[in-house]
Amino acid sequence: MFRDVTFTDVSRTDALDDCVGFVMDEDAFRAFYDRTARGVWAYLVRVTGSRETADDLLQETFYRFLRAAAEHQDEAHRRNSLYRIATNLARDARRRSLFRGAAGLTGDDIERVAASGDQAHATERRADFTRAMSHLKPRERAMLWLAYAEGASHREIADVLGLSPGSLKPLLFRARRRLAVLLGRAPGRGER
Amino acid sequence: MTTRVSDTCEFEAEVLAAVLQSRWPERADDSLRAHVATCTICSDVAAIASAVEDSREDLRANAVVPDSGRVWWLAQLRARREAAEAAGRPITAAQMMAFACAVGLLGACFGATSTWFQSVVRTMLRWVASSLTGFDVKALLHGAITVLAEHGALALAMAVVLFLVPTAVYLALGKD
Repeated sequence: MFRDVTFTDVSRTDALDDCVGFVMDEDAFRAFYDRTARGVWAYLVRVTGSRETADDLLQETFYRFLRAAAEHQDEAHRRNSLYRIATNLARDARRRSLFRGAAGLTGDDIERVAASGDQAHATERRADFTRAMSHLKPRERAMLWLAYAEGASHREIADVLGLSPGSLKPLLFRARRRLAVLLGRAPGRGER
Repeated sequence: MTTRVSDTCEFEAEVLAAVLQSRWPERADDSLRAHVATCTICSDVAAIASAVEDSREDLRANAVVPDSGRVWWLAQLRARREAAEAAGRPITAAQMMAFACAVGLLGACFGATSTWFQSVVRTMLRWVASSLTGFDVKALLHGAITVLAEHGALALAMAVVLFLVPTAVYLALGKD
């Protein structure tokens, strides 16, 4: 799955004596974490719409990944599992009404995103993007991010989000359409 | 290259690659630009891909994630704590079962020795017998009120015990 990946094979079964039922040893975990943590955090920020929530869920995601009694065939499969856990945690957090506001984003988040850029134009673009994303449903945000930020295939996105591969294409099409219209860079339905 | 009505387009990947490689739109092929101008899917991809990529780069660059060693250490602590709690759970369950048995034994002794309790049982048996022969709601209510008035404290205590024991067992076992 996902681009910019160094496919280092990680042993799942060695050196479990030092820990309690983890799926990998410390060295393997730390390497895997260093490769994936920033991406997972960015995904959680985009799906939940909150940096604080993403901070909270990041460690829980990796903990549950470590404790999951899952057999991972390769790095891609391992990443799919990680993102699936993150997706479920984000969904649970939303159900517990931990998100602040219906759109999931606060002014603070948008402002902070806006303040993080160096150039005014880039900053404004990012703030626009954040606002546009906040108007999408969490599942739409997740599938767009996985497709265009993480470079995941349709099959992988369906796997992470618990959807059938057949239903993903029209859902992704509609989500993409909505975001393009919200960004003001494409005509809405019936306009072309 | 014509306008597509399906939800996929064979040029989508090409458009995405052009955007991500900063070739879009100036350095992209004319034919690709012409296609995007008529294809809803590809125009949407072109519209959002650069914004998503920009946001991704920004978020990853500014991400402040905990150190991997700290995450590992905290995970180990938590796993050990949970393992210890799981190991202690059967003891708690055994204790709760012993408590429930003790309460049941006390109740049995009380029932065997208490004339109050025996009279309640006899009254209830009479109600059952009378309801089988001819169900009389008024008599039943009257009898129930009479018994409650006479042995209300005892009934309340039994109800509390019957409620508390399962609740305590549930809380002890469902803590995790």
